[in-house]
Amino acid sequence: MIQVRAEPHAARQTRPMNTTPLFAADVLRKYDLPGPRYTSYPTAPHFGPHFDQRMLCEYIRCSNAEPIPRALSLYVHVPYCFSPCFYCGCNRIVTHDRSKGRKYVDRLVREIAMAGPLFDRDRKVVQLHFGGGTPNFLEPRELREVLAAIRSHFQLDSSPQRDFSIELDPRYVPEGYIAECAQLGFNRASVGVQDFDPEVQRAVNRIQSIEQTVRVIAECRAAGWRSINVDLIYGLPKQTVAGFERTLDTVIGIRPDRIAVYSYAHMPRLFKAQRQIDRADLPSAQDKLRLLQRSIEKLAAAGYVYIGMDHFALPEDELTRAQTAGTLQRNFMGYTTHADCDLVGLGVSAVSHIGDSYSQNARDLAAWEIAIDQGRLPVWRGRHLDFDDVLRADVIQQLMCLGRIDIAAVDRRYDLDFRTYFADALARLRPLATDGLVLLEDQRICATSRGRLLLRIIAMCFDRYLNESDADAAEQRFSRAI
Amino acid sequence: MSRPGIADDGDELHFCSTCAFSAACMEQGYDKSELRQLHVLVEHIGPFREGEHIFREGDPFNAIAAVRGGTVKTYVTDTEGREQVQGFFLPGEVIGLNAISQARYPCNAVALDSVVLCRFSFPNIAALAGRMPGLQQQLFRLLSQDIGKASLLAGNFTADERMAAFLVSLSRRFAARGFSAKRFRLSMTRTDIANYLRLASETVSRVLSRFQDDGLLRVERRDIELLQPAQLGALARSVLRE
Repeated sequence: MIQVRAEPHAARQTRPMNTTPLFAADVLRKYDLPGPRYTSYPTAPHFGPHFDQRMLCEYIRCSNAEPIPRALSLYVHVPYCFSPCFYCGCNRIVTHDRSKGRKYVDRLVREIAMAGPLFDRDRKVVQLHFGGGTPNFLEPRELREVLAAIRSHFQLDSSPQRDFSIELDPRYVPEGYIAECAQLGFNRASVGVQDFDPEVQRAVNRIQSIEQTVRVIAECRAAGWRSINVDLIYGLPKQTVAGFERTLDTVIGIRPDRIAVYSYAHMPRLFKAQRQIDRADLPSAQDKLRLLQRSIEKLAAAGYVYIGMDHFALPEDELTRAQTAGTLQRNFMGYTTHADCDLVGLGVSAVSHIGDSYSQNARDLAAWEIAIDQGRLPVWRGRHLDFDDVLRADVIQQLMCLGRIDIAAVDRRYDLDFRTYFADALARLRPLATDGLVLLEDQRICATSRGRLLLRIIAMCFDRYLNESDADAAEQRFSRAI
Repeated sequence: MSRPGIADDGDELHFCSTCAFSAACMEQGYDKSELRQLHVLVEHIGPFREGEHIFREGDPFNAIAAVRGGTVKTYVTDTEGREQVQGFFLPGEVIGLNAISQARYPCNAVALDSVVLCRFSFPNIAALAGRMPGLQQQLFRLLSQDIGKASLLAGNFTADERMAAFLVSLSRRFAARGFSAKRFRLSMTRTDIANYLRLASETVSRVLSRFQDDGLLRVERRDIELLQPAQLGALARSVLRE
């Protein structure tokens, strides 16, 4: 998580970046290159195998020893889905066998019981997120068991400011499910839509009616939830500008607090599910740009503010307010106001970020199960962040969240001379400046409105590992920018 | 990220600028090589790793040691096995002084980070002090400071006063050794700070958070930046007997 050192030091003026991205087809075409999404720096491919349970425990111990230990953010991964969506690049297992959920929860509860006591009791859990897969694969009583385990081994924030969210697949949310979740303490949801166009839905094997979606969101609102998010994807097979415009109109009509418009990355070599998609059905590069352009225009016209990357939010949503206040952050769960926490990942493949470390649980279900059954934390790989990593993560975070880097603040904070330390990065930025993506000023580096859609391309200039390895490797690992 | 490293201006022949003995000895016209010839200066020892003990309670006392780099914690353990932190020693400060009256160390000393020391044989330095009034005075000064420090927190002070005194004291001690008075790193754990100040761990965090909210200081992980040293000084005054 590009996490890192929120406030005190770095540039936190209240001047928001120019939030409206300018759609400049020429530069978008030129810079549509593969690159990381910077939900972490260093990125996950740089996590290594020499990271075990003992090391994780040591990082936790050190994090408890800080004068003001960070609050906690818990991520719980539920890998199961009832049905395979062909675009999916997540770690998930498709099944209709509910008993798998039962067995998974039994182990999850044991993992929670192992991890919880390692953290000092006064470290409050202010953020909790259930992601997947499909978290609503779990039955209400299974969810209840997981929450009960979390409550008994961690201290959950019970204030209205808590941020406890669940990803929902509206096709499988029975009546009353959301009311149950609300009782358990959830107060936010992220609802998958992707596209309402029936042609597209057939091509990606996700048939989901507007009515189902509207009902789920209405239930969330009835439960008093806030910051409801809807996910859309552009670049899907059979997608047309006219069809996606209708989807956008429908979603804008529902008026969720947040809308994410992700770019579909067709990487069938990496994601098996995507092999079901016929490359010939994918929109052309030209059409894909049009889809993005129309999304930005329509959402802006409807009053949504561009947060960064794929994210839009209503002006009164806390993400927008955090961006304006300069406190917006980014972590494995995307943009957030809570990245200043230590992140504890629970469940198969979940990522943790504790102190100066990243670590990831076994990505393979069997390996995760064996670790739990042997009474071990299921950590699989990870890495220590050195000074350079922490510094670059901070700089990249400033770019991704605020669209600018405050040079004097970095100098002061890290006790270095930015222009000397980052001479290479500045040289790499120069052509981007010539193309009008970024302004290189004396005291700051600032993404222009033309560069706003290409923040990751600007951030890549500061990525030591990317600039060490060759572009071919990036091509295989990372999706394209647009 | 101010991190005092080893006071690296010293070596086998020259005193570190932070050394508690340098002024006294040099005033008398001695440098390290001469002290060594007098068999006073025994050796540079370390580095000790985090958690490694330098001496333990009951070990025979034969030397005092000046911290060249890192932080040392001294503590005793009560009959129930509970730890009681006695003090923290920064570069330039001397450990083992409270053993002088006895034949054994009355406490444990443990490295909180990577620690290097300059070890002085006590019988030898004591004998030399008899011939060197300046060195003797310096030893007495160090001894009385050590005694004074131990009793400071015994009074009936609020958590805010204790915390402010702790930070102000660290700030002054760092400044006295040529490090930043405003930005420093806490190498001790929150539990150690709490134990030393006789507060609960949660109280340490709560007070620091409130100081931060009030703009008195900034805390970033283990790095502290004092923003309003005068206000903190005022809070610390009663503890520090000023």
